[in-house]
Amino acid sequence: MKKTLRSSLVALGLTLLPLAAQAGTVTVKGSDTMVILAQRWAEAFMKKNPSMKIQVTGGGSGTGLAALQNGTTDIAMSSREMKEAEEEKLRARYNTPPTQFSVAKDGVTFYVNEANKVDTLTVEQLKAIYLGDTESWKAVGGADAPIVLYSRENSSGTYVFVKDTVLGGDDFASAAQTLPGTAAVVNAVSKEKNGIGYGGAAYAKGIKELKIKKGNEAFAPTAENVKSGKYPLSRDLFFYLRNKPSGDVKAFIDFALSAEGQAIVTQVGYFPVK
Amino acid sequence: MAQAASSQEQLPPPPASEPREAVQPPATEPQQPPANAYSVPEGSPSIDERLSADEHRVESLEEQNTETKNDLSALKKLRFSGYIQSRYQYQEPLDDTGTGGFSRFTVRRGRLKATYTGDLAQFMLQIDAVPAGVTLRDAEATLFIPGTKQQLSLTMGQMKWPFGYEGPQSSSDREFPERSRVVRNMLPSERDRGAKVNGRYKFLRVSAGVFDGAGTDSGTTQDNDKEKDIIGRVGFDLKWIAGGVSGWYGQDLGKLPTDTFRRAYDRSRLGADLQAYFDVVPLGGTSLKGEFIAGRTYGAANNATHLDVPAHGWYLLLVQNIGLNDAVAVRYDTFDPHNGQANTANGDMPGADNAVDTLGVVVQHHFGENLKVSATYELPMTQVVAQASDPKDNLFTLQMQARF
Repeated sequence: MKKTLRSSLVALGLTLLPLAAQAGTVTVKGSDTMVILAQRWAEAFMKKNPSMKIQVTGGGSGTGLAALQNGTTDIAMSSREMKEAEEEKLRARYNTPPTQFSVAKDGVTFYVNEANKVDTLTVEQLKAIYLGDTESWKAVGGADAPIVLYSRENSSGTYVFVKDTVLGGDDFASAAQTLPGTAAVVNAVSKEKNGIGYGGAAYAKGIKELKIKKGNEAFAPTAENVKSGKYPLSRDLFFYLRNKPSGDVKAFIDFALSAEGQAIVTQVGYFPVK
Repeated sequence: MAQAASSQEQLPPPPASEPREAVQPPATEPQQPPANAYSVPEGSPSIDERLSADEHRVESLEEQNTETKNDLSALKKLRFSGYIQSRYQYQEPLDDTGTGGFSRFTVRRGRLKATYTGDLAQFMLQIDAVPAGVTLRDAEATLFIPGTKQQLSLTMGQMKWPFGYEGPQSSSDREFPERSRVVRNMLPSERDRGAKVNGRYKFLRVSAGVFDGAGTDSGTTQDNDKEKDIIGRVGFDLKWIAGGVSGWYGQDLGKLPTDTFRRAYDRSRLGADLQAYFDVVPLGGTSLKGEFIAGRTYGAANNATHLDVPAHGWYLLLVQNIGLNDAVAVRYDTFDPHNGQANTANGDMPGADNAVDTLGVVVQHHFGENLKVSATYELPMTQVVAQASDPKDNLFTLQMQARF
């Protein structure tokens, strides 16, 4: 019987030997904020390496990190740091701690309609607005009109960043309408004259970006202010991997962090890390 | 289309100077609107009015969509999860006559968990539905201390003891079908009723609480004494290496043969655990985990089976991932049920309290994200003396785990 069992185990072991990963294709999934940037990187990288295929899809940071855990993506894009619970799940499944790369910087921008006369707010004022404590633009120097709140879905890294950094971990006002992407937020604010929304700087076209007041100075989400850290709502954009990079994945990350890759960061409207 | 037809019908007569052919329709074909043209009766809304009405309809749909999304957003806080572990097990006959041993199918675990996580509170309920019945595994009410970003919490209810690594680890994450022998003896059922505080600060992890102490396998739904047990773990997590030390102090009421009446005996444990993760083998991640536990008064069934008995044990586990979906693990564990007591023999069988070492090997494969299949072979080696021999109790387990 022992022999039979031994043979069975060996046969099963051989059957379960791993299949080699598909060479030449790298999948990148996650943050909607980073989709355009990653697509530009992918286009430039594939032009230089015609045999390689980079597949980029969005869905939100949480979706990308879940895909990394499920083994359905090679790289997860995230506009927030990985949560401890996510990290622990990955480590339990793959027996190695995940690897994090900061690939670009972004200033989370708050938008208002061009017709709104408010152009500067403090983080505290933003917090009061998004918690629902301040309901009229009049309270922050604007017109006597109700504030219409736009937010992102909770799978979004931008949502988590604003919740943690601006709201101090508290929940958004129930009146905040959740929209499925930064582009949708920008679109909604551009149509609603009393609207306010937030998102990445790369999408902030056609509406007014708010300056954030810190002390006696107000800072716009410009490259200098984000890189210098003066803009209070700047953040890193990340690539996450299950383990250390190798092969095609490493080549793509090396490209994103190269001078050429970081030039693309600037072209897209974000800020380089190098 | 409708506009073109109606404007032709209402065409004013042309000025006399204009050539008649230019505006008059052919005399042989009477002017008829096309079959598919709309006719706009007098007093109907204009195009602008209809566009405006459509816009309002779209806005209304957008509002309904937003409302639905808000409702769904609240539902996202409610999460259902669970897993089923179905097994085939084969244990060889205990002797050459073919007696003992088994060949059987079992459903070892059938867990269903509901968790609702809000900003300040968490509800968690887990049941286990198996052929033997449905039992409550966890029922936790948690308060996240305000201002701590859910890094500090207080939980009351029925929960896992905050002791060691393998005890609190989910059975669905573990490579081997069962916990090591020392953990099974020192933390039977792994759960108890009580209250605990859980905190995280940077790399530090602290969890401590007060519990009834008897565990949920004690056979009673209420504690049998007023003595509470204090249990806790202080740990660290530096990503590639994590670990901690655990302690347990309490008392258990019981009566030894030498006692006239029941009296309180110490129930205590001390433990240390360490987990290291490496990314050095090109095939995949490697982890090495170990844990040592020593304690007094242990065992299931009211913890009275080994009253005031000191025992200890440890295990070492090596796991090697092979690619994304496969892993191989080897575990060696040892348990001495009675410190300092010499091994004995009962005829040709070893004594009940002889130390047991177990070597196990498991091969596992993930089919996608929801299904894991593992094949495990375990060789328990009971220490023997005199004419006693190690029982033939090697165990093969083929397990399918479906999780969502």
